[in-house]
Amino acid sequence: MTSLKRSVNTDPFASNHSSKVYVRSTKSGKVQKIVREVYLRQDIPCSSRLCSRCLASAPRSAAGIVSPFVLSDKPAGTKAYPQGHYLVPDTNVLLNAMDLFEQGSAFFDVIILQTVLEELRNRSLPLYNRLIGLTKSQEKRFYVFFNEFRLETYVNRAADESINDRNDRAVRHAVKWYNDHLGQTKSADIPVTVMLSDDRGNLDKAKQEKVPASRLRDYVSGLKDAERLLDMIAESQERIASNEKKPQFLYPEYFSLSKMMTGVKSGMLHQGMFNVSPYNYLEGSIKVPTFAKPLLVLGRDNINRSVDGDVVVVEVLPQDQWKEPSTKIIEEDAITKNENADNDEDAADVVTEKERRALQEQVKKTQGLTTEGRPQPTAKVVGVIKRNWRQYVGHVDPSSVSQTARQGRKQESVFLIPMDKKIPKIRIRTRQVGELLGKRILVTIDSWDRETRHPVGHFVRSLGELETKAAETEALLLEYDVQYRPFPKTVLDCLPQEGHDWKVPASTDDPGWKDREDLRGLLICSIDPIGCQDIDDALHAKPLPNGNYEVGVHIADVSHFVKPANAMDTEASIRGTTVYLVDKRIDMLPMLLGTDLCSLKPYVERYAFSVLWELSPSADIVNVRFTKSVIKSREAFSYEQAQLRIDDASQQDDLTSGMRTLLMLSKKLKQKRMDAGALSLSSPEVKVQMESETSDPIDVKTKELLDTNSLVEEFMLLANISVARKIYDAFPQTAILRRHGAPPKTNFDELANQLKVKRGLELRFDSSKALADSLDACADGSEPFFNTLVRIMATRCMMSAEYFCAGTQSYPEFRHYGLASEIYTHFTSPIRRYADLVAHRQLAAAIDYEAMHPAVRARGRLEAVCKNINVRHRNAQLAGRASVAYYVGQSLKGRVAEEDAFVMRIFSNGFVVLVPRFGIEGLIRLRDLAEPEPESVFDAENYTLRLTGSYDGVVELFQKVRVRIRDVKDEATGKRGAKMELVRAG
Amino acid sequence: MATTSQHLLLSPAELAYLHSTLSLSPPLRPDGRTATQFRPLTAETGILPGTNGSARVCFADGTEAVVGVKAEVEKTTRVGILNEDESSRQRRRKQARSHGAAKPTAITEEEDAEDGEAEAASFSERRGENDWLELSVEIPGYRDDDSGTVFLATMLSEALLADGELTKKLWINRRFHWKLYLDIILISPPLSYPLPLLSLTSHLALLATRLPRLKSEGDEDPMFDDDWAASQFIYARSGSATTSTSTSRPPITLLVMAVGENVIFDPSKEELAVADCTLAVSVGEADVETDDAVAAKPGARALRLLSVRTIDPPSRLTAPGVPNTVNAVAWGQGATTANETGLRAAETGDVEGVWKAPRGGSKITLISTMVEKILEKGGVADDVLEGLDGVELA
Repeated sequence: MTSLKRSVNTDPFASNHSSKVYVRSTKSGKVQKIVREVYLRQDIPCSSRLCSRCLASAPRSAAGIVSPFVLSDKPAGTKAYPQGHYLVPDTNVLLNAMDLFEQGSAFFDVIILQTVLEELRNRSLPLYNRLIGLTKSQEKRFYVFFNEFRLETYVNRAADESINDRNDRAVRHAVKWYNDHLGQTKSADIPVTVMLSDDRGNLDKAKQEKVPASRLRDYVSGLKDAERLLDMIAESQERIASNEKKPQFLYPEYFSLSKMMTGVKSGMLHQGMFNVSPYNYLEGSIKVPTFAKPLLVLGRDNINRSVDGDVVVVEVLPQDQWKEPSTKIIEEDAITKNENADNDEDAADVVTEKERRALQEQVKKTQGLTTEGRPQPTAKVVGVIKRNWRQYVGHVDPSSVSQTARQGRKQESVFLIPMDKKIPKIRIRTRQVGELLGKRILVTIDSWDRETRHPVGHFVRSLGELETKAAETEALLLEYDVQYRPFPKTVLDCLPQEGHDWKVPASTDDPGWKDREDLRGLLICSIDPIGCQDIDDALHAKPLPNGNYEVGVHIADVSHFVKPANAMDTEASIRGTTVYLVDKRIDMLPMLLGTDLCSLKPYVERYAFSVLWELSPSADIVNVRFTKSVIKSREAFSYEQAQLRIDDASQQDDLTSGMRTLLMLSKKLKQKRMDAGALSLSSPEVKVQMESETSDPIDVKTKELLDTNSLVEEFMLLANISVARKIYDAFPQTAILRRHGAPPKTNFDELANQLKVKRGLELRFDSSKALADSLDACADGSEPFFNTLVRIMATRCMMSAEYFCAGTQSYPEFRHYGLASEIYTHFTSPIRRYADLVAHRQLAAAIDYEAMHPAVRARGRLEAVCKNINVRHRNAQLAGRASVAYYVGQSLKGRVAEEDAFVMRIFSNGFVVLVPRFGIEGLIRLRDLAEPEPESVFDAENYTLRLTGSYDGVVELFQKVRVRIRDVKDEATGKRGAKMELVRAG
Repeated sequence: MATTSQHLLLSPAELAYLHSTLSLSPPLRPDGRTATQFRPLTAETGILPGTNGSARVCFADGTEAVVGVKAEVEKTTRVGILNEDESSRQRRRKQARSHGAAKPTAITEEEDAEDGEAEAASFSERRGENDWLELSVEIPGYRDDDSGTVFLATMLSEALLADGELTKKLWINRRFHWKLYLDIILISPPLSYPLPLLSLTSHLALLATRLPRLKSEGDEDPMFDDDWAASQFIYARSGSATTSTSTSRPPITLLVMAVGENVIFDPSKEELAVADCTLAVSVGEADVETDDAVAAKPGARALRLLSVRTIDPPSRLTAPGVPNTVNAVAWGQGATTANETGLRAAETGDVEGVWKAPRGGSKITLISTMVEKILEKGGVADDVLEGLDGVELA
């Protein structure tokens, strides 16, 4: 018997044909062997401007154009490589020091190998996205070389070679090829292609193979400004080198991924997003789908290295470890206690599966009973599914800096205190402590291992001196992830070439006029806040012969200028919304569009998208139609001007009477809405007045509400609802809508209880109507602000409204709880909100004005857009509020103000007050009241704090107090903030 | 059988000639092979990159088979009561024993010992169910529910499942197991009875089958290493991946026939046409560590008989001639005519040069000789396994 094996060489394409084999595990649990065939080519260019051979053979686009070569023909040299050099980083270098590559002063002409790029994507998606961003930038000259597809640089995996070794070899091979390849050019100074690596094995092999290579640290040391740059190399890799001694583990180990997944599937473990309490950094909560109320996570051991926003898996602790939610304010800055690292987690492992299951039942039972004060189920974190680490803004804790380091150049570990109180202190190593003190700096977290108490990170860059306007504003923008860089050229290229001279074409035969209605004859005006430049909307009303009214809402036709899927559209979809800070506006669209071409300025013709109703005198809709139009606004009013004009009986022109009609109708509309159960919610809103020259804040005013505010609001709501119905009819799957979920009943439990105990008021929350009515009833004759306070607190119990794609929810879920409308969308502010722009496109398609672009039609894409703009919208709100808070603080600088305040929340060692005049909340700790700290009795049932000893008094919830507000700089933390002191209670 | 090999158009004289030459000692085979010699074959593995394991075997006569093995993770459902399950296992074991009973020698003892061990293994969790293997056979020109095709598939899976070793290897944890899909395709027309070809090809394919390496522990949802190079052979092997031989291997099924006293292996189509008796014998290799007898003789294979099935050769399907005297259909026709006696002799007795289909059963000693020839040291099974060892596993 003989057996033969087919010889390998029978395949005629063997040399340029290879395959990759791997195992893919799908979500549904399938495990497949995947074979990908790789066809190798020889025309992938090296993209060096020195190389003419590649230029000749490089693939051309359909138009016959070769994409321009990226790498410079005269790359910068260093001491080690005077003839110039190209860099080839390996994956670890990018993982550890991405911030370095983003520097504007060094790291040009970088070749990113496909091997590295793919490895990076598997290891860290955010870093991958940053790298992709870099490769797109013109000035950095990053080139992605597809070495895995080029015949000469493809490397087959050898027998018994690990994937990592194979990839390292591929990198070395590609570097070698680059050097050989460029060596054949006739250039006088041939640049060296240098591999950057931190892997000792890889470097040693490179040395053997005579491949130019350098350790990242060595390379950076040879650059200008090395000290600053060295700080940006991640901490972790250094420690590995230096710290060989057996580490002492402070935290319990995480479960393996498979163990967590099994547990979550079987209901033994729970997955959710980890949130840290804003008042107590050692208390976190996690909302899991299984239970109605969030689970508590208490203490460092149980929190187990999770950071606010991480997606974690938790295990419910046995009942004897359940605790009441803390009534204490615990701030990390204040705590210096050294916890015992030893913990007896083993006890938990003894618990059998049955007991654990019983525990789950118990949780449900207990949660039903829980009101404040009863022990709540607690949990411990057993693993992290996804880290939500980003870059954090903060400042160096001066107390962690030794005296010598302030002058010297020695590398030292210091703590960074993040601006966000929910984020733990971050340990960073730096050589430039002296310079960093008193600065706002940006850092990232690299790792948090079991043996370090605090996460370890590294310095990214300095934003500037603490409390300078530029630094604080940038800090704010970074902290809320607002895209504030100027628009790139590709975006600006999408603007009309005429620039500010663009005009509505005079001839109605122009393609721009196609299907557009000429509404220039209507008496249209706009009403906006003072100084508004981006005028989204304008209105008109006129009586009809049949006694009804024609009312029109005209919205800037942004979709005419921003075509789907071009660079400007992409940028806008990423920005999602315009962000308004006190002294700054970060636009979603370039200025030219936002404040000129799209803005419905008075006295000029503009393209608009109009919603025209016929309304009966009782404000019922008789019919509605939508059309693209050309309008000419007669006047741009501010709310105050409009109000004055309406009130001025001597004004009897058509425009004014139109406005009066609008006002009359808007009141009826509002009444209807209120009858349907719309909520009027409240959040403290203030306006910071600036000195016009220096734009320094001089005063804070609460915003005034006029009838005209409500006039505009009502018609915008009406337009949004009408449009929502129309686009939902046309596109039941893909219409972009906005919903506001009914809040879970449990959210109101505490507030209802507080009102009952303190004021004997009943809060009903079974429907929005009931809630609206009972909120109206929550009034205190002597204190008009009490009602507002309750509304503010009720608002915080609500869900936040969100954009969604119609196909993802069933119709009853579309409901907007706050507005008591069945269906809602955003249509009226396309200049500053991306959702409105999408709605415009969908409406245009719904009225057959234009075909629907695939990007607006694809549900998956729209869902991604919704998700992004929801986040952006929220961030924009937070950033705006934080900006106000900062300026309120600044306006108080050097002053002491005494104001009325209301107690919003009570802890056993302090309480939170809201100052309506400034719209700020402040924490008053008992220890600040008097020296020594007054003794207190905390009555959780009655929300009362009785103080005796050094300070006599009673503080209770909803109480009106008098506080003194001072601007104080905390020496320990370097933070400036409004500091409140109790003048008198009651 | 009749359907799975094409009918031969051989005259009675040709058949008689074949029968008599094969009955000679030593037998003279039409293609000049010795009685135990196999037809040369070409074999390779790993021909289908998308499968977990695959093989192709080509016999010199042009028959060719391809086998692909795909594995999927499946949730183990606990159906029925454990006892019930146990009884079915016992039934299966009894069956195996009754086949083996034909040879009451050391082998049965060995099997008993194995049985005891299987008993012990049943107490541990690590055991497999027969439906973890799904086997399909495709013969060109025949429907997949053709009796011949179904019979082939049953015989092949019976052999693979007989010792329970294969399914045991598919156990992941108490909640999950691998499900193995074995697709056997004969890609040439069935020139001879394809059972040995298909068996050898499945054997090689299973030898080459690899499963992703398990990363999770215990009864967790299984998670696997995504590196295919780290995957593990179902039939673990010693030494490095390319040169080694397996420590255990899947069973093989061999076709053996007898003509007269001669035992002939790997019969061709023509030879089968005159066979007195044909057996399909499945042989497995005992686990080396568990067998003391073999441990004493290193290098030797510990072979185990797994099943024996008789297969009706075409000769058996020809109805024998019946003399008119005893034929009820020809009732009353001149039974006493003198010239009829010669005719009767021709129908009942042997006539030189005229083929006559064999009648009656085979002797038990003949059957046991056939089995012994396979199992003896240096015997055919040994020889075949040796040959298969030479196939490089991709």
